Amino acid sequence: MSSHAEAKKSPLAGLITYNKDIPVMPLILLGLVLAGIGAVTALIVFINGHEEMYAVNREVPWGLLIGTYAYFVITSTGLAFIGGLGHAFGFESFNKISRRIVVLATFVLLAGFTQILMEIGHPIRMIIYMMLSPNLAAPILWMGVFYSIELVILALELVIVFKAHPTAKDHKMAGILGFLALVVGTLATSNLGFVFGSLNARPWFHGIYFSTFLVISGITAGAGLLMLVHNIVYKFNIPSELNGAMKSLSKLMSGGIGMMIFLYLWKILTSLFNSPDGAYQSVMALISGPLAPHFWIGEIGLAIIVPLALLLLAKGNTKVYGLAGLVFMVGLFFTRVNFIVAGQLPVMRAANPGARVHADASGLAVYSPSAAEWGIFLLGIGTALVLYFAAEKFMDLKTPEHD
Amino acid sequence: MSEKKLGIVLDAKKCLNCKACTVACKFENGVEVGDELYRIWVAELPVQGTYPNLSMEFEPSQCQHCENTPCATVCPTSATYRTDEGVVLIDYKRCIICKACMTACPYDARFVSEKHHAIEKCTFCYHRLAEGREPACVETCPTKVRVFGDLNDPESEAAKLKGKNATYQLKADRNTKPRLFYIK
Amino acid sequence: AGVFAANLTTFKAVASSGHDAPAPTGEKGEKHIASSCEMCVNKCGFFAHVVDGKIKKLNPNPKFFKSRAMLCARGNAGAEEPYNHERLTTPLVRVGERGEGKWKKISYEEAFKMLAEKLAEHKVKNQNRSSVLFASSEGFQEHMFHYLVQSYGSLNTVRHPTLCLSSVIQGWSSVFGVFPDADMHNAMFAIMFGSNRAEAIVTPDSIDIQKNRPKGQQIVYLDPRYTATAAKADKWYPVKPGTDLAFVLALINVIISENLHDEAFVNEYTHGFEELKAHVKQYTPEWAENECEIPASEIYWTAREFAKYAPRSIAYPGRRTSWYVNDVYFRRACAILSAICGCWDTEGGICPKSPVPIKKYDVLFPYYEQAESRIDVASYGAFANNLPDDERSSSGLPKDSCTYLSEKDGSWTRLRDAVLREDPYKVDAMVIYKQNFIEAVPNRKKTMQMIDKMEFICAIDIQMTEAAYYADLVIPESTYLERWDVVHSLSGIWPIATFRQAVVEPVFKTKSMFDIAQGVVNEMVKIPELWDDADEFEVDDFKDEIVDGILNKPIQDYIKYQLSGHPGAYEQMLKEGVFYLSDKPTYGNTRKPGYRFKTRTGKIELLNVKYVAEGLDGLPTYRAPRQPEPGKYRFILGRHAWNTHTGTQNNGFLWEIQKENTLWLNSAEAKKLNIVDGDRVKVTSSVGEQELAAYVTEKIRPDCVFYAHGFGRLSPQLSHVYNKGASQAEILEDYIEPISGNAALHETFVTITKA
Ligand SMILES: Nc1nc2c(c(=O)[nH]1)N[C@H]1C(S)=C(S)[C@@H](COP(=O)(O)OP(=O)(O)OC[C@H]3O[C@@H](n4cnc5c(=O)[nH]c(N)nc54)[C@H](O)[C@@H]3O)O[C@H]1N2
Ligand SMILES: Nc1nc2c(c(=O)[nH]1)N[C@H]1C(S)=C(S)[C@@H](COP(=O)(O)OP(=O)(O)OC[C@H]3O[C@@H](n4cnc5c(=O)[nH]c(N)nc54)[C@H](O)[C@@H]3O)O[C@H]1N2
Ligand code: SF4
Ligand code: SF4
Ligand code: SF4
Ligand code: SF4
Ligand code: SF4
Ligand SMILES: [Mo]
Repeated sequence: MSSHAEAKKSPLAGLITYNKDIPVMPLILLGLVLAGIGAVTALIVFINGHEEMYAVNREVPWGLLIGTYAYFVITSTGLAFIGGLGHAFGFESFNKISRRIVVLATFVLLAGFTQILMEIGHPIRMIIYMMLSPNLAAPILWMGVFYSIELVILALELVIVFKAHPTAKDHKMAGILGFLALVVGTLATSNLGFVFGSLNARPWFHGIYFSTFLVISGITAGAGLLMLVHNIVYKFNIPSELNGAMKSLSKLMSGGIGMMIFLYLWKILTSLFNSPDGAYQSVMALISGPLAPHFWIGEIGLAIIVPLALLLLAKGNTKVYGLAGLVFMVGLFFTRVNFIVAGQLPVMRAANPGARVHADASGLAVYSPSAAEWGIFLLGIGTALVLYFAAEKFMDLKTPEHD
Repeated sequence: MSEKKLGIVLDAKKCLNCKACTVACKFENGVEVGDELYRIWVAELPVQGTYPNLSMEFEPSQCQHCENTPCATVCPTSATYRTDEGVVLIDYKRCIICKACMTACPYDARFVSEKHHAIEKCTFCYHRLAEGREPACVETCPTKVRVFGDLNDPESEAAKLKGKNATYQLKADRNTKPRLFYIK
Repeated sequence: AGVFAANLTTFKAVASSGHDAPAPTGEKGEKHIASSCEMCVNKCGFFAHVVDGKIKKLNPNPKFFKSRAMLCARGNAGAEEPYNHERLTTPLVRVGERGEGKWKKISYEEAFKMLAEKLAEHKVKNQNRSSVLFASSEGFQEHMFHYLVQSYGSLNTVRHPTLCLSSVIQGWSSVFGVFPDADMHNAMFAIMFGSNRAEAIVTPDSIDIQKNRPKGQQIVYLDPRYTATAAKADKWYPVKPGTDLAFVLALINVIISENLHDEAFVNEYTHGFEELKAHVKQYTPEWAENECEIPASEIYWTAREFAKYAPRSIAYPGRRTSWYVNDVYFRRACAILSAICGCWDTEGGICPKSPVPIKKYDVLFPYYEQAESRIDVASYGAFANNLPDDERSSSGLPKDSCTYLSEKDGSWTRLRDAVLREDPYKVDAMVIYKQNFIEAVPNRKKTMQMIDKMEFICAIDIQMTEAAYYADLVIPESTYLERWDVVHSLSGIWPIATFRQAVVEPVFKTKSMFDIAQGVVNEMVKIPELWDDADEFEVDDFKDEIVDGILNKPIQDYIKYQLSGHPGAYEQMLKEGVFYLSDKPTYGNTRKPGYRFKTRTGKIELLNVKYVAEGLDGLPTYRAPRQPEPGKYRFILGRHAWNTHTGTQNNGFLWEIQKENTLWLNSAEAKKLNIVDGDRVKVTSSVGEQELAAYVTEKIRPDCVFYAHGFGRLSPQLSHVYNKGASQAEILEDYIEPISGNAALHETFVTITKA
């Protein structure tokens, strides 16, 4: 605990520390290596161009990077949501970990931004013309707006959560910001669902399903990630004062997975009963087509069955919570990439001779990420690892106790 | 609003699958050689029947210049827009290559152009219209499969042809209201 | 910010391709220049849109009514030719082994000198100018090539017709005295025999079969393959290959026996009707059905419809008729069918071509003593080698020499055999203009043997085709967009004259055949040994009139002279790219009283009198073709609309349409062979073997297989198609149609195995 005297010198004093106990140097190094690989990849992409380096194509214009972008930013808003539950709705147990929540949310969001920046052809032009000639009907415009606001809110929240001695005003402010982060985050994520849902050509994305699913799976991811991170930071020995928080997170997570199962069920069934065009082909691509291994092992196995089983069998063991979080985060990666790719596999025109459409024998479009796309994903992962664990190592992310 | 409604009426039954239109478009619009780089295509629909009772059709097509324009609605910077005559165009310098329009288009009419650093697609040869010239694909076709013109002008060849014949549109169920009309 | 924004992009800064190469001249501005296409034989008219000294696009010329305001895919792709990254840019002399691809760049002047010296060397060494063979294909500059040939004096020239249409010319001429056109624009009923007009484009017919069809017109199409033309036709008969003659004879049988012929016309214009009537009695539809596998009922229907719409009925003559050993007889039958129904020289029928009169230089080349007569005429008794052993060749076809060999055209397969046998003399040098004989002549291995016999080969081409790749001296010609070509009359029902003017300056300072002929002939003039076997005065006249009077003048003078009979024509030509006297067809010239057909009797010869004198069938007699033994398939040829022969596959804009050829194989047969679509298969004939992917389809008869021309190439400098797909020439056996000397390219049987 920092003393009052120190605190008076500077609001940030005592923030920079060195936490001997926190065993994350290997993770920081790993992050550096991954980010390094990612940075080199980014450079190569700058030189050779997207078209040459990425495997996305005319039939499947959105690939791995849109998936990883979604992976990061939706997880970030999930975290912000949990933070908001604590700050705005008085879920006390979450308040105990609010620094970590906000820091994690911020850096995961930044990791997401690396993905979209490397995906969009003209990031600078984007900023200019989204302001000069915005199309208010376009969900991508709102995606930009919402995530920018989210970043600002998170930044403000950071300032507040790092105040060593927050005032009542700060508490109120934190409440408001937490509420805003929750609302804007939810809007951002559901709007991201609409970014896909607004595509006339892609029935798989239509309807309210993905907006809902993304929000719920995002919160689930936030919970899982927090449990994982705490286990790492505390060497799989989470102090008992945080048990309440972990328990709430595990409930949140198993509840989330439960809702995901419910959503899956009806999405798959409605798609199967749909006309044999569009959504039907997408769901078939998932359950028995080219995406089936990713779907059954990654999406269903790692993001549903295993973590849910672990959570149900954990009986309050926080180590198992951490493991469930880890497995879920791996599985969720497939969930994110799959849903984007599946939506684009049905071709817009049959691959007849002369149509110039590229499709496999079953008539579906073909996409499998290139090395460069994987490299950019590593940039995202590396960024998140370095930033977050450096923060753990060199800052005090333990939320101070206060009444 | 202009009174013009530009569109193309096609008699695909006359199509020889000669691909003159596809090559003409490439030169007229500087589209380079490349498998994914094309504004216009001619598909050979699957042969119907078994030997020796067969039939086969060709389907030439391009951007449909949809009146309900899925590609334009999702474009965040308004790079994709419709002219008064209903021609769907792209302002290359505003395009950020987010590819939302590509994923939104039910006709796979768009592609990434390295040359323009933007998304591109059929423009109805808009640059030719001011000079009173027909689109390149219309002009070069041996059998004149396509007739281009103002569908609101009852005197235009296109309007007359459309008036005389029953027509259909591709993927009418997508509710995009295409401006390409195929003679039944 | 804009500049910054444009630069800070994750997009590659430059995309480069030949298409984007800068103009050589630095000139500014836009222009539209009229000229005509050379991507295939049709020569459609266009206006080149030139922007800042570079061709942007070729646009169709609406005034050019042979091409009816169209340019096909190849015609459009032509705009890439001057800028193609692999085109020839400078003369090359071989430094490594033949076929090794090692070259030294030399100047045009050095190349001209070298060629002149080589010509002199062979003349001196062999004491026979004909020991140098000159091969060429059609094109406006071929005329200038022949200036070179005639200046040198070899009688051994060989052209494309005996790989293409010499049998249909012979067949129709043997009836009408000329090779006519079909008025598809106005016909009400047309039968087309494997004339794949939707894909093998011949203007204006390819256009007229869809665009300008008169209401109610019917097209009947016979082809073992379901081609794009079959898809457009009103009826498709998958005729058994090689039996079209049975079908036509049965049509004649029905028409005569039901008295549906045009009696007045027959009486007035034809010779031999009674003999014909007796002759075709045997050819009933029921009999024909067995041969050609087209139901007798359909034959009756076709015959009656044909007669009903006559004279607006057409038995379409066709073009590439290098099919079977008896092709002339089949084409004769088509002509006879047209004649008895009076479908001649009248709207909607078959019409003699008329020309636009163009002035010709009356040039006289010296008579050289050391020039032996053509090797393919001189060498007798070798025919048996080129005829398969069956009932067609065992009677009714000559075995000794081509009956009607065209002097300038020669006969490719015949000639090659004679060269290989050195019979009756040695031919050991070759000059090739615009012909890729290695892929165009059947049996590629034999052609390579012929090449081995050559001490010197010079090829004049625009790209490194096989003919150039195996040459010793390669002289690039400017592409058709960079040069001026002399005027040609495109004779037909709507005759026009056209020419070429350079729409851009030669991108690589290349020269036209006119310039090349000029350069080489001027070098020849300097070598005394080349003129010692001719009359001195004749040589002097030649130098004055031909060398100085024509070749050493600008080619524009030549063009002006050609058009000098029509005031204002030259200016019109420059502006519009086309000149014509009328835009209306003229019918009926040969129906005027007193007209003599160019046949021995002066009549339309249903019974050909000369043929009888030569011991040939005076009337077409049906003899069944050989059939492949079980397990084998007949290999048939054809083309797609996206390439011309072997000349365009390396053009990027066409290559991206078709990158390889595939073997068409009937689905039921494929099942038997356990082959699925896309499988690699081996195609083996008695002379060669090729490998390519299978295209399993309903669109072909079960007894034959097909793949398109122009792939499986040997020249690495055609990188798009080098070793891609399969070559036809490699597996084709070299049979001959001995009346016309045409190659018989559909007589090869092959086995198909999984590769
Ligand atoms: N196997 C097989 N053989 C065939 C045929 C077939 O279908 N299959 N078809 C037959 C028929 S119908 C024909 S007409 C013949 C055609 O046979 P060719 O006349 O040999 O035709 P291409 O194979 O196109 O070769 C033409 C050559 O001319 C060159 N060329 C093009 N433009 C120019 C130019 O401006 N100047 C010069 N100097 N050269 C130029 C090209 O590069 C190419 O090398 O082939 C016949 N042979
Ligand atoms: N796109 C394109 N157009 C061209 C050319 C080109 O190279 N490309 N070349 C030009 C030239 S030089 C020529 S000569 C013409 C050639 O034009 P066409 O004379 O139409 O020649 P091919 O394309 O060789 O088509 C021959 C057809 O005959 C069919 N066939 C084979 N055997 C038989 C048979 O026994 N009976 C019948 N009835 N049919 C049979 C084949 O399946 C094939 O479809 O095309 C000209 N136009
Ligand atoms: S066809 Fe596609 S690109 Fe063209 S207007 Fe319609 S949605 Fe847009
Ligand atoms: S890629 Fe370009 S044109 Fe398409 S939606 Fe994005 S900004 Fe608009
Ligand atoms: S209208 Fe112009 S841009 Fe569109 S397909 Fe035709 S040629 Fe291409
Ligand atoms: S140019 Fe005309 S005939 Fe040829 S493929 Fe195009 S639409 Fe068909
Ligand atoms: S048919 Fe095509 S390739 Fe042949 S001359 Fe005409 S435009 Fe050129
Ligand atoms: Mo030909």
